[in-house]
Amino acid sequence: MKYSSLYWEDVMASQDLPTLSKEITVTTIIIGAIATRDLYPLHHDFRFAQKAGVRDILMNNITTGGFIGRYLTDWSGPEGEMRRMKFRLGMPCHPGDTLTMTGKVVKRYKDGDQHLVDIEYNFLVSEGSHCRGTATISMPSRVGA
Amino acid sequence: MSSSVYEELKAMIGQDQPEILATDRVCKQMIRHWCEAMEDANPLYSDEEYARHSKYGSIIAPPPMIWSWVIPPLWPSTGRPRVWEELLQTCAKGGFDQVIDTDVEMEFYRPLLPGDRVSAETKVYSVTEEKQTYLGRGHFVTAESTYRNERKELVCVQRVTLLIYRARGSDEV
Repeated sequence: MKYSSLYWEDVMASQDLPTLSKEITVTTIIIGAIATRDLYPLHHDFRFAQKAGVRDILMNNITTGGFIGRYLTDWSGPEGEMRRMKFRLGMPCHPGDTLTMTGKVVKRYKDGDQHLVDIEYNFLVSEGSHCRGTATISMPSRVGA
Repeated sequence: MSSSVYEELKAMIGQDQPEILATDRVCKQMIRHWCEAMEDANPLYSDEEYARHSKYGSIIAPPPMIWSWVIPPLWPSTGRPRVWEELLQTCAKGGFDQVIDTDVEMEFYRPLLPGDRVSAETKVYSVTEEKQTYLGRGHFVTAESTYRNERKELVCVQRVTLLIYRARGSDEV
């Protein structure tokens, strides 16, 4: 198999997800704004951002959500299916920041025929938490596989 | 003054709003642009051979991409959805003219496939009384959007909480 996925049975509650770090550039912010269709100037216009009282352009929330999705399925593999995600926004993510994505499994359980895990994640920038929250992922099971 | 803003906001809770139809159908090109931005290598989004043999039988859109599909185009302008206009105009009466997203919650029910056309209905879900925050005084407003495909099947329910506030120093009314 070219792409592997984790099985629910192989996940342990309280295990950490591997940390993923990403250098954020002006290009990261702007390609994110365009790909997510969020053309509010705060996400691409430096002068607009300064007038709004922030030091530089900043990542839009939809891109933040995209990085959360990527971080979680990078870990689970493509058969991990996002059921729910919830996050609180904190410090802005600017060009020059390193976005450090961390997470851990907090619960592993069954709901009917679904094999689920709950993940807590916290994405950090130099000034603190950029976003933190929880997600529920449905995973493949070795039973009946 | 501000308490009447709160009463007006409360009156908006649950009010029916016009449905917003996505300008573009879900397509592989926009999915690829998304993956390029996030550097997301999930083969369900990009590898047609793998995706065809998956349980979906096709490439799917990344679930968090849901809210991108219904963002109105910059040109030709179709204006902001009515619910946002009403919310912002109501808040502006109390001098609350700044907006920041604080919380996002999404529940996913089925994936979007290329060819699907998304519609969304956004309603005011909850509001708080005026509160002091570190940014200034304001109301937290939660909007709930229900996304469906063109077969009217439920795709996602999303709740976004906004703080609509009066910047500190620019008060007091």
